[in-house]
Amino acid sequence: MQPRTRTLVKIGVLVLAAGGFYLLAAHKHAQREEVRQTAVSVTPACVEKLSRYALERGEYYRSPYVVQRTGTVSTRRGYGDEDIRAIQRGCNIMDDTQGRQATDVSRERWNATRFIRGNHAACSHCHQGIGDKQDAKGNRLKGSLSIGASWVMADMYDRFTGLLLPFELRQMQCYINSSNGYKPNIADDVIRDVTAYSRFLSAALDLKIGNHYDEQGIDEIAASDTLKQGDDYVRGEALYKHKCMSCHGRQAFGLEANGRLVAPALAGPNAWNMQSRNYFYYVSTILPGFICRNMPLGQENTLTNQECRDIAYYISNLPRPAGDRQGPIVALKQQFLMTVMPPLLRLTSPDDAEKPAHGTRERVQ
Amino acid sequence: MVPSPTTDSNARRERRRERRSRMRLKNVSLAVLSIVAFVLWVHLGSGVTVFRSDVPAEPGWERFRADYKLAYFGDDGQFVRAVQNGYNLVFHTYKYAPRFTRKVAGDQVSACSSCHTAEDLAYAFVNSDRYDRKVGRRVSFEERVQRCYAGPMDGFVPTIYDPAVRDIRLLARAVARHLQLSEGALRGGR
Repeated sequence: MQPRTRTLVKIGVLVLAAGGFYLLAAHKHAQREEVRQTAVSVTPACVEKLSRYALERGEYYRSPYVVQRTGTVSTRRGYGDEDIRAIQRGCNIMDDTQGRQATDVSRERWNATRFIRGNHAACSHCHQGIGDKQDAKGNRLKGSLSIGASWVMADMYDRFTGLLLPFELRQMQCYINSSNGYKPNIADDVIRDVTAYSRFLSAALDLKIGNHYDEQGIDEIAASDTLKQGDDYVRGEALYKHKCMSCHGRQAFGLEANGRLVAPALAGPNAWNMQSRNYFYYVSTILPGFICRNMPLGQENTLTNQECRDIAYYISNLPRPAGDRQGPIVALKQQFLMTVMPPLLRLTSPDDAEKPAHGTRERVQ
Repeated sequence: MVPSPTTDSNARRERRRERRSRMRLKNVSLAVLSIVAFVLWVHLGSGVTVFRSDVPAEPGWERFRADYKLAYFGDDGQFVRAVQNGYNLVFHTYKYAPRFTRKVAGDQVSACSSCHTAEDLAYAFVNSDRYDRKVGRRVSFEERVQRCYAGPMDGFVPTIYDPAVRDIRLLARAVARHLQLSEGALRGGR
Protein backbone atom coordinates (compact mmCIF):
# COMPACT_ATOMS: atom_id res chain seq x y z
CA MET A 1 0.00 0.00 0.00
CA GLN A 2 1.22 3.48 -0.85
CA PRO A 3 2.26 5.60 2.16
CA ARG A 4 -0.32 8.22 1.23
CA THR A 5 -3.09 5.63 1.00
CA ARG A 6 -2.02 4.23 4.36
CA THR A 7 -2.25 7.68 5.93
CA LEU A 8 -5.67 8.25 4.40
CA VAL A 9 -6.89 4.90 5.72
CA LYS A 10 -5.58 5.76 9.19
CA ILE A 11 -7.34 9.12 9.13
CA GLY A 12 -10.51 7.47 7.86
CA VAL A 13 -10.48 4.92 10.69
CA LEU A 14 -9.95 7.67 13.27
CA VAL A 15 -12.77 9.78 11.84
CA LEU A 16 -15.07 6.76 11.76
CA ALA A 17 -14.23 5.85 15.37
CA ALA A 18 -14.79 9.42 16.57
CA GLY A 19 -18.04 9.64 14.60
CA GLY A 20 -19.14 6.29 16.03
CA PHE A 21 -18.54 7.51 19.58
CA TYR A 22 -20.40 10.73 18.85
CA LEU A 23 -23.40 8.86 17.44
CA LEU A 24 -23.39 6.49 20.41
CA ALA A 25 -23.30 9.42 22.85
CA ALA A 26 -26.09 11.20 20.95
CA HIS A 27 -28.15 8.00 21.01
CA LYS A 28 -27.67 7.55 24.76
CA HIS A 29 -28.50 11.21 25.31
CA ALA A 30 -31.73 10.86 23.33
CA GLN A 31 -32.54 7.67 25.22
CA ARG A 32 -32.14 9.47 28.55
CA GLU A 33 -34.36 12.30 27.38
CA GLU A 34 -36.98 9.78 26.30
CA VAL A 35 -36.88 8.11 29.75
CA ARG A 36 -37.33 11.52 31.39
CA GLN A 37 -40.48 12.05 29.34
CA THR A 38 -41.89 8.57 29.98
CA ALA A 39 -44.50 7.93 32.67
CA VAL A 40 -42.91 6.34 35.72
CA SER A 41 -43.88 2.95 37.06
CA VAL A 42 -43.85 3.74 40.78
CA THR A 43 -43.17 1.08 43.42
CA PRO A 44 -46.09 0.32 45.77
CA ALA A 45 -44.30 1.86 48.76
CA CYS A 46 -43.65 5.04 46.80
CA VAL A 47 -47.26 5.19 45.61
CA GLU A 48 -48.32 5.10 49.26
CA LYS A 49 -45.71 7.68 50.34
CA LEU A 50 -46.29 10.17 47.53
CA SER A 51 -50.09 9.96 47.60
CA ARG A 52 -50.02 10.47 51.36
CA TYR A 53 -48.18 13.73 50.74
CA ALA A 54 -50.57 14.60 47.87
CA LEU A 55 -47.98 15.00 45.15
CA GLU A 56 -50.06 16.23 42.22
CA ARG A 57 -49.65 18.51 39.29
CA GLY A 58 -50.66 22.08 40.13
CA GLU A 59 -49.62 25.67 40.48
CA TYR A 60 -49.45 25.38 44.27
CA TYR A 61 -48.55 22.62 46.66
CA ARG A 62 -50.23 22.25 50.06
CA SER A 63 -48.97 19.45 52.25
CA PRO A 64 -51.71 17.45 54.01
CA TYR A 65 -49.12 16.37 56.58
CA VAL A 66 -48.56 19.97 57.64
CA VAL A 67 -52.32 20.59 57.86
CA GLN A 68 -52.75 17.47 59.95
CA ARG A 69 -49.85 18.25 62.30
CA THR A 70 -50.18 21.99 62.73
CA GLY A 71 -53.71 22.84 61.60
CA THR A 72 -52.34 25.50 59.24
CA VAL A 73 -52.10 25.49 55.48
CA SER A 74 -48.72 26.31 53.98
CA THR A 75 -48.82 27.10 50.31
CA ARG A 76 -45.73 26.34 48.29
CA ARG A 77 -44.83 26.39 44.66
CA GLY A 78 -46.53 23.49 42.87
CA TYR A 79 -45.04 20.84 40.65
CA GLY A 80 -45.17 20.27 36.91
CA ASP A 81 -45.28 16.88 35.18
CA GLU A 82 -41.51 16.80 34.69
CA ASP A 83 -40.91 17.61 38.37
CA ILE A 84 -43.34 14.91 39.48
CA ARG A 85 -41.68 12.30 37.29
CA ALA A 86 -38.26 13.24 38.72
CA ILE A 87 -39.60 12.92 42.28
CA GLN A 88 -41.20 9.57 41.48
CA ARG A 89 -37.99 8.26 39.95
CA GLY A 90 -36.03 9.51 42.97
CA CYS A 91 -38.42 7.71 45.31
CA ASN A 92 -38.08 4.54 43.23
CA ILE A 93 -34.29 4.72 43.45
CA MET A 94 -34.44 5.15 47.22
CA ASP A 95 -36.93 2.33 47.68
CA ASP A 96 -35.63 -0.15 45.13
CA THR A 97 -32.08 0.82 44.24
CA GLN A 98 -31.27 -2.61 42.84
CA GLY A 99 -34.32 -2.49 40.56
CA ARG A 100 -35.76 -5.77 41.80
CA GLN A 101 -39.24 -4.42 41.12
CA ALA A 102 -38.38 -2.85 37.78
CA THR A 103 -38.99 -4.44 34.40
CA ASP A 104 -36.02 -2.64 32.82
CA VAL A 105 -33.43 -1.83 35.50
CA SER A 106 -31.17 0.29 33.35
CA ARG A 107 -33.98 2.59 32.17
CA GLU A 108 -36.10 2.73 35.30
CA ARG A 109 -33.29 3.18 37.84
CA TRP A 110 -30.80 5.12 35.73
CA ASN A 111 -28.37 2.21 35.90
CA ALA A 112 -27.97 2.72 39.65
CA THR A 113 -26.60 -0.81 39.95
CA ARG A 114 -23.61 0.30 37.87
CA PHE A 115 -22.48 2.32 40.88
CA ILE A 116 -22.92 -0.48 43.42
CA ARG A 117 -20.82 -3.58 43.92
CA GLY A 118 -22.82 -6.57 45.08
CA ASN A 119 -26.56 -7.04 44.87
CA HIS A 120 -27.82 -6.13 48.33
CA ALA A 121 -27.25 -2.43 48.97
CA ALA A 122 -30.22 -0.08 48.67
CA CYS A 123 -30.69 3.45 50.01
CA SER A 124 -33.72 2.45 52.09
CA HIS A 125 -31.71 -0.04 54.14
CA CYS A 126 -30.20 2.84 56.08
CA HIS A 127 -32.68 5.59 55.13
CA GLN A 128 -35.67 3.60 56.27
CA GLY A 129 -39.24 4.50 55.40
CA ILE A 130 -37.88 5.58 51.99
CA GLY A 131 -35.88 8.29 53.70
CA ASP A 132 -38.78 9.42 55.88
CA LYS A 133 -39.28 7.02 58.77
CA GLN A 134 -42.25 7.72 61.03
CA ASP A 135 -44.11 5.89 63.77
CA ALA A 136 -47.76 4.89 63.50
CA LYS A 137 -48.85 8.34 64.66
CA GLY A 138 -46.79 10.11 62.02
CA ASN A 139 -44.05 11.31 64.38
CA ARG A 140 -40.69 11.60 62.75
CA LEU A 141 -38.09 9.54 64.58
CA LYS A 142 -34.84 10.70 66.11
CA GLY A 143 -31.69 9.53 64.32
CA SER A 144 -33.62 7.98 61.44
CA LEU A 145 -31.49 9.47 58.63
CA SER A 146 -34.34 11.46 57.11
CA ILE A 147 -33.24 12.69 53.71
CA GLY A 148 -35.69 15.61 53.75
CA ALA A 149 -34.02 16.87 56.92
CA SER A 150 -30.60 16.18 55.35
CA TRP A 151 -31.44 18.40 52.41
CA VAL A 152 -32.16 21.43 54.58
CA MET A 153 -28.85 20.90 56.42
CA ALA A 154 -26.78 20.15 53.31
CA ASP A 155 -23.76 22.22 52.20
CA MET A 156 -22.54 22.40 55.78
CA TYR A 157 -19.14 21.59 57.18
CA ASP A 158 -18.57 17.86 57.32
CA ARG A 159 -16.15 16.85 60.02
CA PHE A 160 -15.21 13.57 58.34
CA THR A 161 -14.16 15.01 55.01
CA GLY A 162 -13.30 18.54 56.16
CA LEU A 163 -15.42 19.93 53.32
CA LEU A 164 -18.48 22.06 52.96
CA LEU A 165 -20.20 18.98 51.68
CA PRO A 166 -22.90 19.51 49.07
CA PHE A 167 -25.88 17.12 49.02
CA GLU A 168 -24.76 15.67 45.70
CA LEU A 169 -21.28 14.83 46.96
CA ARG A 170 -22.77 13.17 50.02
CA GLN A 171 -24.81 10.92 47.74
CA MET A 172 -21.65 10.07 45.84
CA GLN A 173 -20.02 9.01 49.10
CA CYS A 174 -22.95 6.68 49.75
CA TYR A 175 -22.34 5.00 46.40
CA ILE A 176 -18.59 4.77 46.92
CA ASN A 177 -18.46 3.59 50.53
CA SER A 178 -21.82 2.48 51.88
CA SER A 179 -22.55 0.61 48.65
CA ASN A 180 -18.88 -0.22 48.12
CA GLY A 181 -19.22 1.00 44.55
CA TYR A 182 -18.36 3.77 42.15
CA LYS A 183 -18.97 7.50 41.89
CA PRO A 184 -21.76 8.75 39.63
CA ASN A 185 -21.34 12.13 37.96
CA ILE A 186 -22.58 15.06 40.04
CA ALA A 187 -25.13 15.97 37.36
CA ASP A 188 -26.26 12.38 36.71
CA ASP A 189 -30.00 11.80 36.86
CA VAL A 190 -29.42 9.13 39.48
CA ILE A 191 -28.24 11.91 41.82
CA ARG A 192 -30.57 14.67 40.65
CA ASP A 193 -33.74 12.61 41.01
CA VAL A 194 -32.90 11.61 44.56
CA THR A 195 -32.24 15.29 45.30
CA ALA A 196 -35.65 16.15 43.80
CA TYR A 197 -37.32 13.55 46.01
CA SER A 198 -35.44 14.78 49.10
CA ARG A 199 -36.48 18.34 48.38
CA PHE A 200 -40.07 17.26 47.94
CA LEU A 201 -39.96 15.51 51.32
CA SER A 202 -38.63 18.68 52.93
CA ALA A 203 -41.57 20.60 51.37
CA ALA A 204 -44.09 17.97 52.47
CA LEU A 205 -42.79 18.06 56.05
CA ASP A 206 -42.33 21.86 55.95
CA LEU A 207 -38.69 21.75 57.03
CA LYS A 208 -36.88 25.09 57.06
CA ILE A 209 -33.54 25.61 55.38
CA GLY A 210 -30.56 25.41 57.74
CA ASN A 211 -32.48 24.07 60.75
CA HIS A 212 -31.36 20.94 62.51
CA TYR A 213 -34.10 18.39 63.10
CA ASP A 214 -33.82 15.32 65.33
CA GLU A 215 -34.57 12.93 62.48
CA GLN A 216 -31.58 14.17 60.50
CA GLY A 217 -28.58 11.87 60.43
CA ILE A 218 -27.60 9.55 63.23
CA ASP A 219 -28.14 9.88 66.94
CA GLU A 220 -24.50 9.07 67.58
CA ILE A 221 -23.50 6.95 70.56
CA ALA A 222 -20.03 7.56 71.91
CA ALA A 223 -18.26 5.39 74.46
CA SER A 224 -19.00 8.07 77.03
CA ASP A 225 -22.74 7.41 76.54
CA THR A 226 -22.33 3.87 77.85
CA LEU A 227 -21.48 2.23 81.16
CA LYS A 228 -17.85 2.38 80.01
CA GLN A 229 -17.39 -1.37 80.02
CA GLY A 230 -15.47 -1.14 76.77
CA ASP A 231 -16.59 -2.43 73.39
CA ASP A 232 -16.64 -6.18 73.64
CA TYR A 233 -16.42 -8.71 70.82
CA VAL A 234 -17.72 -11.64 72.87
CA ARG A 235 -20.71 -9.75 74.22
CA GLY A 236 -21.30 -8.39 70.73
CA GLU A 237 -21.28 -11.85 69.21
CA ALA A 238 -23.75 -13.19 71.79
CA LEU A 239 -26.05 -10.22 71.22
CA TYR A 240 -25.75 -10.57 67.46
CA LYS A 241 -26.79 -14.24 67.65
CA HIS A 242 -29.70 -13.37 69.86
CA LYS A 243 -30.96 -10.21 68.17
CA CYS A 244 -29.73 -10.04 64.58
CA MET A 245 -28.74 -13.46 63.26
CA SER A 246 -32.24 -14.64 62.40
CA CYS A 247 -32.50 -11.97 59.68
CA HIS A 248 -28.90 -11.16 58.72
CA GLY A 249 -27.52 -14.71 58.83
CA ARG A 250 -24.91 -16.54 60.87
CA GLN A 251 -21.99 -14.68 59.36
CA ALA A 252 -23.89 -11.45 58.72
CA PHE A 253 -23.60 -11.95 54.97
CA GLY A 254 -27.31 -11.19 54.53
CA LEU A 255 -30.12 -13.54 53.64
CA GLU A 256 -32.00 -14.10 50.44
CA ALA A 257 -35.01 -16.37 50.20
CA ASN A 258 -37.04 -17.27 47.12
CA GLY A 259 -34.98 -14.80 45.08
CA ARG A 260 -35.93 -11.96 47.41
CA LEU A 261 -33.73 -10.14 49.84
CA VAL A 262 -34.74 -10.90 53.42
CA ALA A 263 -32.08 -8.72 55.05
CA PRO A 264 -28.99 -7.02 53.63
CA ALA A 265 -25.40 -8.05 54.32
CA LEU A 266 -23.64 -6.43 57.27
CA ALA A 267 -20.32 -8.05 56.31
CA GLY A 268 -18.84 -9.81 53.31
CA PRO A 269 -18.75 -8.75 49.67
CA ASN A 270 -22.24 -7.18 49.65
CA ALA A 271 -21.71 -4.96 52.67
CA TRP A 272 -20.36 -1.43 53.14
CA ASN A 273 -16.62 -1.07 52.94
CA MET A 274 -13.91 -0.12 55.40
CA GLN A 275 -14.05 3.57 54.48
CA SER A 276 -17.76 3.90 55.12
CA ARG A 277 -18.82 5.91 58.15
CA ASN A 278 -20.66 2.76 59.24
CA TYR A 279 -17.32 1.06 59.82
CA PHE A 280 -16.62 1.12 63.54
CA TYR A 281 -12.86 1.61 63.19
CA TYR A 282 -13.38 4.66 61.01
CA VAL A 283 -16.16 6.33 63.03
CA SER A 284 -17.09 4.50 66.20
CA THR A 285 -20.27 6.41 67.03
CA ILE A 286 -22.38 6.04 63.89
CA LEU A 287 -23.12 2.33 63.58
CA PRO A 288 -24.08 2.02 67.27
CA GLY A 289 -26.37 5.04 66.83
CA PHE A 290 -27.99 3.49 63.78
CA ILE A 291 -28.50 0.16 65.56
CA CYS A 292 -30.01 1.70 68.68
CA ARG A 293 -32.51 3.90 66.84
CA ASN A 294 -33.38 1.71 63.87
CA MET A 295 -32.79 -1.94 64.78
CA PRO A 296 -34.15 -4.59 65.15
CA LEU A 297 -37.03 -3.68 62.85
CA GLY A 298 -40.18 -3.22 64.87
CA GLN A 299 -38.24 -3.21 68.15
CA GLU A 300 -36.33 0.04 67.76
CA ASN A 301 -34.94 1.72 70.89
CA THR A 302 -35.00 -1.54 72.85
CA LEU A 303 -31.22 -2.06 72.97
CA THR A 304 -29.03 -0.22 75.46
CA ASN A 305 -26.20 2.03 74.30
CA GLN A 306 -23.62 -0.49 75.49
CA GLU A 307 -25.35 -3.31 73.60
CA CYS A 308 -25.42 -1.26 70.41
CA ARG A 309 -21.71 -0.53 70.67
CA ASP A 310 -20.92 -4.18 71.34
CA ILE A 311 -22.92 -5.34 68.31
CA ALA A 312 -21.34 -2.66 66.11
CA TYR A 313 -17.89 -3.66 67.30
CA TYR A 314 -18.58 -7.32 66.56
CA ILE A 315 -20.00 -6.62 63.09
CA SER A 316 -17.08 -4.39 62.17
CA ASN A 317 -14.62 -7.15 63.03
CA LEU A 318 -16.17 -9.43 60.42
CA PRO A 319 -14.50 -9.39 56.98
CA ARG A 320 -15.69 -6.73 54.55
CA PRO A 321 -14.36 -5.06 51.39
CA ALA A 322 -11.50 -2.60 51.62
CA GLY A 323 -12.16 1.05 50.78
CA ASP A 324 -11.07 2.41 47.43
CA ARG A 325 -8.19 4.41 48.92
CA GLN A 326 -6.71 1.63 50.99
CA GLY A 327 -4.59 0.09 48.28
CA PRO A 328 -4.25 -3.34 46.77
CA ILE A 329 -2.65 -5.10 49.73
CA VAL A 330 -5.53 -4.36 52.10
CA ALA A 331 -8.01 -5.12 49.32
CA LEU A 332 -6.35 -8.48 48.71
CA LYS A 333 -6.30 -9.29 52.41
CA GLN A 334 -10.00 -8.49 52.75
CA GLN A 335 -10.87 -10.53 49.66
CA PHE A 336 -8.91 -13.42 51.13
CA LEU A 337 -10.73 -13.13 54.46
CA MET A 338 -14.12 -12.90 52.79
CA THR A 339 -13.40 -15.98 50.67
CA VAL A 340 -11.61 -18.19 53.18
CA MET A 341 -13.27 -17.36 56.48
CA PRO A 342 -16.88 -18.35 55.77
CA PRO A 343 -16.20 -22.02 54.87
CA LEU A 344 -13.73 -22.30 57.76
CA LEU A 345 -16.28 -20.92 60.19
CA ARG A 346 -18.93 -23.27 58.86
CA LEU A 347 -16.49 -26.11 59.36
CA THR A 348 -15.61 -25.17 62.92
CA SER A 349 -19.11 -24.41 64.13
CA PRO A 350 -21.57 -26.50 62.08
CA ASP A 351 -24.22 -26.21 64.78
CA ASP A 352 -24.67 -22.54 64.03
CA ALA A 353 -25.33 -23.11 60.34
CA GLU A 354 -27.43 -20.44 58.71
CA LYS A 355 -31.13 -21.06 58.72
CA PRO A 356 -32.72 -19.28 55.76
CA ALA A 357 -36.02 -17.86 56.76
CA HIS A 358 -38.17 -18.93 53.83
CA GLY A 359 -41.37 -16.98 53.90
CA THR A 360 -41.14 -16.24 57.59
CA ARG A 361 -39.53 -12.80 57.51
CA GLU A 362 -40.81 -9.47 56.42
CA ARG A 363 -39.34 -8.22 53.20
CA VAL A 364 -36.82 -5.47 53.76
CA GLN A 365 -36.41 -4.31 50.22
CA MET B 1 62.98 26.60 47.26
CA VAL B 2 61.07 26.32 44.02
CA PRO B 3 57.65 24.59 44.40
CA SER B 4 57.39 21.41 42.43
CA PRO B 5 54.83 21.36 39.58
CA THR B 6 52.74 18.77 41.47
CA THR B 7 52.41 20.94 44.58
CA ASP B 8 51.50 23.90 42.43
CA SER B 9 48.79 22.00 40.60
CA ASN B 10 47.42 20.64 43.89
CA ALA B 11 47.16 24.14 45.32
CA ARG B 12 45.38 25.35 42.20
CA ARG B 13 42.93 22.46 42.37
CA GLU B 14 42.30 23.23 46.01
CA ARG B 15 41.60 26.89 45.23
CA ARG B 16 39.25 25.91 42.42
CA ARG B 17 37.36 23.55 44.73
CA GLU B 18 37.01 26.28 47.32
CA ARG B 19 35.78 28.74 44.73
CA ARG B 20 33.27 26.19 43.42
CA SER B 21 31.99 25.47 46.89
CA ARG B 22 31.62 29.20 47.57
CA MET B 23 29.77 29.58 44.26
CA ARG B 24 27.46 26.66 45.10
CA LEU B 25 26.64 28.21 48.46
CA LYS B 26 25.97 31.52 46.75
CA ASN B 27 23.73 29.88 44.13
CA VAL B 28 21.75 27.90 46.67
CA SER B 29 21.28 30.96 48.88
CA LEU B 30 20.19 32.96 45.86
CA ALA B 31 17.67 30.29 44.85
CA VAL B 32 16.24 30.04 48.37
CA LEU B 33 16.07 33.81 48.64
CA SER B 34 14.30 34.06 45.28
CA ILE B 35 11.72 31.50 46.34
CA VAL B 36 11.13 33.20 49.68
CA ALA B 37 10.88 36.58 47.95
CA PHE B 38 8.41 35.16 45.41
CA VAL B 39 6.24 33.60 48.11
CA LEU B 40 6.27 36.83 50.14
CA TRP B 41 5.44 38.86 47.06
CA VAL B 42 2.60 36.52 46.12
CA HIS B 43 1.08 36.63 49.59
CA LEU B 44 1.67 40.24 50.48
CA GLY B 45 2.39 42.27 47.40
CA SER B 46 0.74 40.74 44.35
CA GLY B 47 -2.91 41.18 45.29
CA VAL B 48 -3.64 37.74 43.79
CA THR B 49 -6.45 36.53 46.02
CA VAL B 50 -6.19 32.93 44.98
CA PHE B 51 -3.19 32.41 47.25
CA ARG B 52 -4.96 33.72 50.34
CA SER B 53 -6.85 31.56 52.78
CA ASP B 54 -8.82 34.52 54.12
CA VAL B 55 -11.40 36.39 52.07
CA PRO B 56 -11.00 40.14 51.65
CA ALA B 57 -13.77 42.10 53.37
CA GLU B 58 -15.46 44.33 50.82
CA PRO B 59 -17.51 47.35 51.85
CA GLY B 60 -20.91 46.27 53.09
CA TRP B 61 -19.80 42.82 54.20
CA GLU B 62 -19.92 43.54 57.93
CA ARG B 63 -23.41 45.00 57.57
CA PHE B 64 -24.53 41.99 55.53
CA ARG B 65 -23.00 39.63 58.04
CA ALA B 66 -24.83 41.34 60.91
CA ASP B 67 -28.14 41.62 59.00
CA TYR B 68 -28.26 37.93 58.17
CA LYS B 69 -26.70 36.80 61.46
CA LEU B 70 -24.06 34.79 59.68
CA ALA B 71 -21.82 34.50 62.71
CA TYR B 72 -24.41 32.24 64.31
CA PHE B 73 -24.87 30.02 61.29
CA GLY B 74 -22.79 26.92 60.81
CA ASP B 75 -20.54 25.58 63.48
CA ASP B 76 -17.28 26.72 61.94
CA GLY B 77 -15.70 29.64 60.17
CA GLN B 78 -15.37 27.78 56.90
CA PHE B 79 -19.03 28.23 56.02
CA VAL B 80 -18.95 31.93 56.82
CA ARG B 81 -15.80 32.37 54.71
CA ALA B 82 -17.50 30.65 51.78
CA VAL B 83 -20.56 32.88 52.21
CA GLN B 84 -18.24 35.90 52.32
CA ASN B 85 -16.71 34.79 49.07
CA GLY B 86 -20.27 34.40 47.76
CA TYR B 87 -20.97 37.97 48.89
CA ASN B 88 -17.91 39.22 47.02
CA LEU B 89 -18.93 37.27 43.93
CA VAL B 90 -22.48 38.60 43.97
CA PHE B 91 -21.74 42.23 44.80
CA HIS B 92 -18.37 42.63 43.07
CA THR B 93 -18.58 40.05 40.32
CA TYR B 94 -16.26 41.83 37.89
CA LYS B 95 -13.55 41.85 40.55
CA TYR B 96 -13.91 38.32 41.96
CA ALA B 97 -14.94 36.33 38.89
CA PRO B 98 -12.87 37.96 36.15
CA ARG B 99 -12.44 34.57 34.48
CA PHE B 100 -16.18 34.28 33.97
CA THR B 101 -17.27 37.76 33.00
CA ARG B 102 -16.13 40.42 30.54
CA LYS B 103 -17.82 43.16 32.59
CA VAL B 104 -15.71 45.86 34.19
CA ALA B 105 -16.26 48.32 37.02
CA GLY B 106 -17.77 51.08 34.89
CA ASP B 107 -20.43 48.94 33.18
CA GLN B 108 -24.07 49.44 34.01
CA VAL B 109 -24.39 45.74 34.78
CA SER B 110 -21.14 44.67 36.39
CA ALA B 111 -22.29 42.35 39.18
CA CYS B 112 -25.04 39.88 40.02
CA SER B 113 -26.36 42.51 42.43
CA SER B 114 -27.11 44.82 39.49
CA CYS B 115 -30.17 42.63 38.87
CA HIS B 116 -30.69 40.49 42.02
CA THR B 117 -30.81 41.12 45.75
CA ALA B 118 -29.50 38.49 48.14
CA GLU B 119 -33.09 37.63 49.02
CA ASP B 120 -33.92 37.06 45.34
CA LEU B 121 -31.15 34.49 45.34
CA ALA B 122 -32.54 32.80 48.46
CA TYR B 123 -35.99 32.46 46.89
CA ALA B 124 -34.42 31.27 43.63
CA PHE B 125 -32.52 28.66 45.61
CA VAL B 126 -35.58 27.16 47.31
CA ASN B 127 -37.44 27.21 44.00
CA SER B 128 -34.64 25.69 41.94
CA ASP B 129 -34.49 22.23 40.38
CA ARG B 130 -37.84 22.81 38.72
CA TYR B 131 -39.04 22.58 35.15
CA ASP B 132 -38.27 25.67 33.12
CA ARG B 133 -40.56 26.22 30.16
CA LYS B 134 -38.03 28.41 28.32
CA VAL B 135 -35.20 25.91 28.63
CA GLY B 136 -37.47 22.91 28.18
CA ARG B 137 -36.15 20.90 31.13
CA ARG B 138 -35.51 21.02 34.85
CA VAL B 139 -32.89 23.61 35.78
CA SER B 140 -30.79 23.54 38.93
CA PHE B 141 -29.62 26.59 40.88
CA GLU B 142 -26.07 25.95 39.68
CA GLU B 143 -27.17 25.96 36.07
CA ARG B 144 -29.03 29.26 36.63
CA VAL B 145 -25.79 30.78 37.93
CA GLN B 146 -23.85 29.37 35.00
CA ARG B 147 -26.42 30.86 32.63
CA CYS B 148 -26.02 34.26 34.31
CA TYR B 149 -22.26 34.19 33.78
CA ALA B 150 -22.69 33.24 30.13
CA GLY B 151 -25.60 35.62 29.40
CA PRO B 152 -26.10 38.89 31.29
CA MET B 153 -22.53 38.84 32.58
CA ASP B 154 -21.26 38.41 29.04
CA GLY B 155 -18.66 35.85 29.98
CA PHE B 156 -17.90 32.18 30.26
CA VAL B 157 -19.38 29.15 32.02
CA PRO B 158 -17.66 27.94 35.19
CA THR B 159 -17.92 24.24 36.00
CA ILE B 160 -20.58 23.12 38.42
CA TYR B 161 -17.87 22.51 41.08
CA ASP B 162 -16.32 25.95 40.80
CA PRO B 163 -16.29 28.15 43.92
CA ALA B 164 -17.71 30.89 41.69
CA VAL B 165 -20.89 28.78 41.57
CA ARG B 166 -20.75 26.92 44.87
CA ASP B 167 -20.26 29.98 47.06
CA ILE B 168 -23.24 31.76 45.51
CA ARG B 169 -25.35 28.72 46.40
CA LEU B 170 -24.00 28.90 49.95
CA LEU B 171 -24.82 32.59 50.16
CA ALA B 172 -28.36 31.84 48.96
CA ARG B 173 -28.65 29.04 51.51
CA ALA B 174 -27.44 31.29 54.33
CA VAL B 175 -29.98 33.98 53.46
CA ALA B 176 -32.74 31.36 53.07
CA ARG B 177 -31.87 30.12 56.51
CA HIS B 178 -32.14 33.58 57.97
CA LEU B 179 -35.53 34.09 56.30
CA GLN B 180 -36.57 30.60 57.48
CA LEU B 181 -37.66 29.59 54.01
CA SER B 182 -38.68 26.08 53.18
CA GLU B 183 -38.72 24.28 49.86
CA GLY B 184 -40.86 26.04 47.24
CA ALA B 185 -41.44 29.15 49.40
CA LEU B 186 -43.31 31.87 47.51
CA ARG B 187 -42.29 35.49 47.59
CA GLY B 188 -44.61 37.52 49.81
CA GLY B 189 -45.80 34.34 51.54
CA ARG B 190 -49.24 32.83 51.24
